[in-house]
Amino acid sequence: MLQLTAELTRGAFHLQVDCRLSDPVTGIIGASGSGKTTLLHMIAGLVQPATGRIALDNEVLFDSGLGIAVPPHRRRLGLVFQDGRLFPHLSVAENLAYGERLLPPTERRFSPKAIIELLELESVLHQRPGQLSGGQAQRVAVGRALLASPRLLLLDEPLAALDWRLKQQIMPFLRRVRDVTRMPMLYVSHDSKEILDLTDRVVVLESGKVVGAGPVLDIIQDPRVLRQLRLQGLVNILPLTILSHDSAGGLTRLQLKSSTAEILGGPVIVSGPILNTLAGGEIHAMLRPEDIALAGSNLTGVSIQNQVRGRVVRLIHTPDRDMCVVDIGLPLVVEISPHGAKTLGLAAGRPIWCLFKSSALQYLGTSSR
Amino acid sequence: MGWLSPEEWVVLGLSARVAVCCAAAVALPGIACGWLLARTRFPGKSLVDAVLHAPLVMPPVVTGYLLLRLLGRRGLLGALLYSHFGITMAFTWPAAVVASAVMGFPLMVRAVRIAIEMADPKLEAAARCLGAGPLRTFLTVTLPLARPGIITGLVLAFARSLGEFGATIVFAGNIQGETRTLPLAVYSYMQSPGGDAAALRLVLVSMLLSLGALIVSEVMSRRYARFERVVE
Repeated sequence: MLQLTAELTRGAFHLQVDCRLSDPVTGIIGASGSGKTTLLHMIAGLVQPATGRIALDNEVLFDSGLGIAVPPHRRRLGLVFQDGRLFPHLSVAENLAYGERLLPPTERRFSPKAIIELLELESVLHQRPGQLSGGQAQRVAVGRALLASPRLLLLDEPLAALDWRLKQQIMPFLRRVRDVTRMPMLYVSHDSKEILDLTDRVVVLESGKVVGAGPVLDIIQDPRVLRQLRLQGLVNILPLTILSHDSAGGLTRLQLKSSTAEILGGPVIVSGPILNTLAGGEIHAMLRPEDIALAGSNLTGVSIQNQVRGRVVRLIHTPDRDMCVVDIGLPLVVEISPHGAKTLGLAAGRPIWCLFKSSALQYLGTSSR
Repeated sequence: MGWLSPEEWVVLGLSARVAVCCAAAVALPGIACGWLLARTRFPGKSLVDAVLHAPLVMPPVVTGYLLLRLLGRRGLLGALLYSHFGITMAFTWPAAVVASAVMGFPLMVRAVRIAIEMADPKLEAAARCLGAGPLRTFLTVTLPLARPGIITGLVLAFARSLGEFGATIVFAGNIQGETRTLPLAVYSYMQSPGGDAAALRLVLVSMLLSLGALIVSEVMSRRYARFERVVE
């Protein structure tokens, strides 16, 4: 568990945080300049808070009162930087081994072979960082940090420098790292999509202050949290299993992976754009709250492919839009106009149909090998 | 072997020895000072910077004179060396090394300082986060990144030593077989009747050595240039 109390002023910027993080993977969401990177650098020891206390699993890393400031190299925390920061004078293999070599063999948690396999780096081992693509470089950076056997992996916008397509290629690797290594992670991003694809436990920062911390759907009621999440692209992430392809119809049928779906009457089947992955595979898809419509009953004679039955869990009012959380087997955030909410007579507990076009589903890279 | 006389070979060997010793002598202090100037702030830094660079702008003869006053047998430090250890430095070949090392030191420091300033501190931060302490970070990240600059500095110091005249003749003298390096020998042959041919031969040797040093430094910096472009 990470306990963090810190204050720091730099010019006009004032950072003041006080939080406890105990989830295996926590995302830190905030606009650029909200203090996310500074926060990570304080945990890593690259920046010292003016006052405060940072402790990991009861080991004090920093305490201004007691005059404790463990230097970064003794903190055993892995930091993956936005710009990769691979050593240009070393090969990929040497970069990977850099932190590992500094550890006594008994303290090495991963074998290089396992990490190289996990991140699919065999083919680039003998290259120099200058020869790598942005995506490859970030995978090497993640591998290098993991091989140093950190107690906590800090990721500072590791995908920010990559385009959408490359991000989609890396995300499955990060999920794989999360599932295979069980490494606790703190993932900073200004893009909610990346974070929500990894975890629903977030800390929301606004102008150097924590405005919310916890499961997204629990803290979304706070208007400041909702504003930040919408600014940073609040999305629904659907874990899906591929059922079948209908190439003539241009559709792929997928089943929602959910624990509660059966209660609501059978598995939830949705249609998405055609996909060239084998049936049986698993995939994450993104669905924007504004791409979903609500209806009081099942519609006929419409081209919209997906009509999913659910139940209203909660309604959140904001000055311009209403956010409706619908349980369809997992909680789905739907954005509608206050007028629409009124017309439908939305209230918690009411059965409702969620409508979205197949093209509204955006795949996020396969999560299985 | 026949185209240089035995006496000229002695000159060449002495010059090479002095130049190699000079490069070796400036290596560690040059790296240390270059790092201090590139990465630290301390009161009086600009004064230190000025003193280090003084030999570049002062007349070499003045530098030689100051060295003599400092390290000569009756000099401030030279007297101590003589009374405690029986060491006389002035007018010996180590004096030629000291004279050219003082002249070449600013060149070394400049090259190292620029190279270290260009080595990205962010990479050092990355090394720290991977568990490397400050010294290991310096040895495994900063120093290798600055390697082209260090090589350039060493070659410059080596070449400066090969060509050094003023400070050497004042502090070390012009003693055949002891302190008569290439430029001093060229000058001496020019002054003696019938020495023109020998002077010309040594001029050619000097040019070859200087060009050789330049080529070696070019080749070495090109070898490391391939990763330099990645450090943006």
